[in-house]
This record gives sequence, C-alpha cells and structure tokens, in this order.
Amino acid sequence: MTVLVTGVSGQLAHLVCEMLRDRHELVGADVRPLPAGRSFPGEFHCVRYTQRRMAEVFRRHRPRALVHLGRLRGSEVSSTSFRFTQNVLGTRNLIDLCIRYGVKRFVVLGTFHVYGAHQHNHVGIREDAPLRASLTFPQIADAVELDHAVTGALWRHRELETVLLRPCHIVGPSLNNLTSRLFRLRAVPTLLGYDPMLQFVHERDCARAICLALHGDRVGVYNVAGEGAVPYTYAIRLAGGRPVPVPHFLAYPVVGSLSRWRLLFPKHLMDYFRYPTVVDDSLFRADFGYAPQFTIVETLASVGRQQVRRKEPA
Amino acid sequence: MLARLQDVLAPPLPARVRERLREDAHVNSAGFDLWGLNIETAEQVLAASRWLYELYFRVEVRGAHHVPPGPCMLVPNHGGQLPFDGFLVAMAAVLEVDPPRVVRGMVERWFPSLPFISTLFTRCGQVVGDPHNCIALLERGQSILVFPEGVGGSGKTYWKRYTLQRFGTGFVRIALQTRCPIVPVALVGTEEIYPSIAKLDRLARVLGVPYVPVTPFFPALGLLGALPLPVKVDIQFGEPFLFEGDPDAPEGEVAAMVDVVKQRIQSMLDAGIARRPDLRWLNRLPGGRRLPLQLPGGAGRGGS
Repeated sequence: MTVLVTGVSGQLAHLVCEMLRDRHELVGADVRPLPAGRSFPGEFHCVRYTQRRMAEVFRRHRPRALVHLGRLRGSEVSSTSFRFTQNVLGTRNLIDLCIRYGVKRFVVLGTFHVYGAHQHNHVGIREDAPLRASLTFPQIADAVELDHAVTGALWRHRELETVLLRPCHIVGPSLNNLTSRLFRLRAVPTLLGYDPMLQFVHERDCARAICLALHGDRVGVYNVAGEGAVPYTYAIRLAGGRPVPVPHFLAYPVVGSLSRWRLLFPKHLMDYFRYPTVVDDSLFRADFGYAPQFTIVETLASVGRQQVRRKEPA
Repeated sequence: MLARLQDVLAPPLPARVRERLREDAHVNSAGFDLWGLNIETAEQVLAASRWLYELYFRVEVRGAHHVPPGPCMLVPNHGGQLPFDGFLVAMAAVLEVDPPRVVRGMVERWFPSLPFISTLFTRCGQVVGDPHNCIALLERGQSILVFPEGVGGSGKTYWKRYTLQRFGTGFVRIALQTRCPIVPVALVGTEEIYPSIAKLDRLARVLGVPYVPVTPFFPALGLLGALPLPVKVDIQFGEPFLFEGDPDAPEGEVAAMVDVVKQRIQSMLDAGIARRPDLRWLNRLPGGRRLPLQLPGGAGRGGS
C-alpha cells in the first residue's frame, strides 16, 4: 500500500522508511529539505503541513496510511508559536486530509513529555493519566495540544484507524535529538541531589514500534518504552560520560536566561531531569506484541561518546 | 582494628538474606526496578546503618512469624518527627522476618523535592505514597510499609505520644482490591526519639515542609539537638488481617475495617508500653497514653 511518512528528513523517520521500503510504496514529506547526501526511497515533498500544497500530496498519491513523525520537538530551535502552528494546526490539517482522502490508518509519534515531570508522579504512568505538562510547562503546550487533536480524532473519526504513540526518551547512535546529544557530552550536567529514574528506547526499537503500530489492527493511545529505567547519573556513566552536578538554584536561572536566547538547553525540559516520569508500556506490548530488542545498557552504550557518528552513505 | 570495628558496627548482611533479596527484586539489566530500587545500594545502606538498629536503638522484635511469606502491608503507628520508625521496621523486615524482604515504604508526596535524601530513599526502595504505586508494587509481589496516620502521626507532639491519630482509609481499600493481608505493627520507643513539645507552623509554611518541631534540645542546641535520642525500640508484629469485601464499599464500611486495625495497633501499643518498666516514668508527664496498671486479658506489666 502507499504510505505517506512525514518528517522524513529526520533520522528516526529514515530508520522507519528503511524498514518499510520493501513492503510499501513510500511518499515522504517534511518541512525541511532532505539532508545532503540522503536519498528517499520514493517521492519526497518539501512542504509545511499547514499549507494547501499538502492536500496536493494526498490528491496525487492517495495514501492508504499516514505515519506522522514530523512533530517539531520542544527542544528544537524554534519559537513556541511556530511550533504550535506546525504541530497543532499542521496535525489538525493532516487529520482533515486523512478523512477527505480516505486514509485508513494513521500513526502519530507523540511524546511522553505530555505527562509532565512532577514530584507527585507515580511510577508506571498509564495512557489514561492526566496530562500535567501544560500546567507546568506552557512551552510544550503544543505537544499536549497535538496529543489532544489526535485523541479527539480517535473518537470523532472512527473510520480512521488512529494510533498515538507516546515514547519515552528516544536515543541511538544516529539520532541527533536533544537527549542523544546530551548523552554524547563528555561532562553531562545533572541537578545536584536529584537523580530521577529515566526510561530510554533505542532508535531501532522505536522505529520497529512505529512499524508495528502501522501494521497492527488496534487503535488507541500507547506508551512506548525500552527495558525498565535507570537513574540519570547511572545512564550518563553507561553512555560513557561523567555527571557534573549543578545546584538547582543556580541551574534554573542560568539555563532560563540562556534558553530565552535559545541557547544551551530548554529550561522547561529541566524538570524531566529532576523528577521521574516513568511510563507503563505494557498495553502496547500486549496489543502489538512489542518487545524491545535492546537492553537499557546496550541502548545507552550505543549512544555514547565512543560511538563515532557515521555519515549516511550517499 | 578497623576491620573489627566494622564487624561490630556494620556486619555484612547474611548471605541467605542477600540471596533472597536479589530473588525478589524485579530489576532490569542495569539492576534497577522502575521505582529506582537498587538492591546493592539498599544492602550497603542497611549494612552500614545496622549499628543504629542493633546498638543505638537496641531493637527487640516480637511476632516476626506473623508476617506472611507473600506480599503484605505492614501498618505501624507513626511518630518521632523523622522517619526512623520506617527505617527500623524496614531493617526488621530484612533481619528478622522470614523470608527477608525490602519493604517498600510509602513516603510523603513532597518528599521527591528534597535533594539527596529523596535519591537515597529511592535507591533503597521507598516510593511516593500514591495508590497506583502501592497497587503496582503489591501486584509485583512486594511488601508495603504504610503509615495511615501520615504527617498527622509523624509530627505529633509529645503529649499525644502513642495515641493513634486519624487513619486514612485508602490502605484498606487497596488491601481489599489486591486481597493482601494487613499486618498491624506496634512500635514502642520510636515516638520518643524526638520529643516534640511544640510545632512552628509559620516557619514550616515558609520552608514548605509539613512541620518544624521544637524539642527540649532542638533548635536550642543547634545540630547537636537534632541527634535522635537513643531510645530502646520494641517492634511487635501482630496477627495479619485478611479483609474480604468490595473495594468500592461505602466509606462507612471501610472505616469500620480501618477501626479494627487501629484498635488492634492501639491495644498492642498499650501492651508494649506496659512491658517497658523503663518507660513507666512517662506516666508522670502530662498528656500522652496512660498506661493501664493491669491490662485486660491478663497481660500484665512486664519486668516487674
């Protein structure tokens, strides 16, 4: 079948497309152009998801399934309002287009950030837990709104088989997201006295999870995690780095003022390295037969500094 | 010499105990469970603080055989400002209870905001007192330590010692839902570790902590006054309750079950205090639990 994948300029979507290319006819879309030297196994459109041109992509290719991996992350260099437009309005537009052009299956990559990092969090957060993120971090309201838009589509458009994935930290040797970059540092800052449990899913496990969600027949919201959890400082050591504790009363103002200039680290994500947000992914395992193939030790070792960043073959 | 001192103060846990603790823990390849328990760290902390249990508080345990082998809920009285009571019960569960286990204490919700201590507690298996955590841990075969009095108990002033405060009812509902036995526990001695004579409520609000106690030594003697008094502690485990019923029963029905547990703990406490001639001088102080001279059922004062 024809599968439209968004966000294909990103590394994770690249892995997903590599897994799907033999089984499906792929169409790619992204707001960014493809990175230099990478080819896409199918037709690629550089387009914003809010644009009218997006409809043209649907009209021309009539995809049977849409894998929406094109969420702009809260850690990326972009203003809150730009992210809101792209993520929320873009996703709503994509849902409308799915309905209009008879797309059958719709897989969205959300984030576990929507649960929020809070000292009251219990461990093993299930999918029906309240989304605390917008309360404490208005900067990632776009992620929560995207989540709401998709869960809304779940009951509003029953004919569209919708799966929303909320993965934990995705890390891997080829990813260039905030968490992977953080764990490649020689000295990784931590908040003095705090050492929350963190979950990691290997990039390949996550790509596999997305494929499972595409090929399965269940619909709904699912957490995706790897093998258990480890404390932050332990994770840093597994990745080959050294934790450098910084007192939180210093870290918050400094990072806060720097992140206003979009430097260093987004302040609103600091709480995720202070309080645990540990999700329960047993529902996804049961419904889709998912099982991570990398242990948490292997996952973190694969991100680490010793890993040479490979350039993609042309 | 140093090695000898270490043997006396912090002897390593018996091999049998360590083996058993490892078996029960559901840890991943890195050695952590989802809540953050790490058996190696927990063992080191327990071994290093064994002198507190054995030499400082000279803990005596009765009725350890009442603790069932499977998952259960230990429900003691709470008191003494700092959670030494929780630590001592956890220690007893490792050293005296068969099979030994790392009990998972349910701590206050503000606790994770404390640096260092919250991390250490987490590594030793303590979790935020949330029903979700409690149920998930019981389902994984872990034993729970819960103080239904909450901060109302731990922050109680000296005049209220050994008088159980209001009990929450959540623990009985969870026990009904998971069909897990409730083991009443009476701790005698722990409520005098920090004899609080007043509470500084306004300071507590400013600091964002549940209470700030004033003891005869703290804050007058500064940090020295914050040392725990070396009270001898008795831990009595009672016969377990296994309640049956609807976990969604009306509050009144559940409250009745809670009362049964509370009454049992209170009577165990009274008997425990009566067994302690060294505590009889307490009777001369105002307030607090009066010791009956002769307990109903013929349980007399011990040691006389």
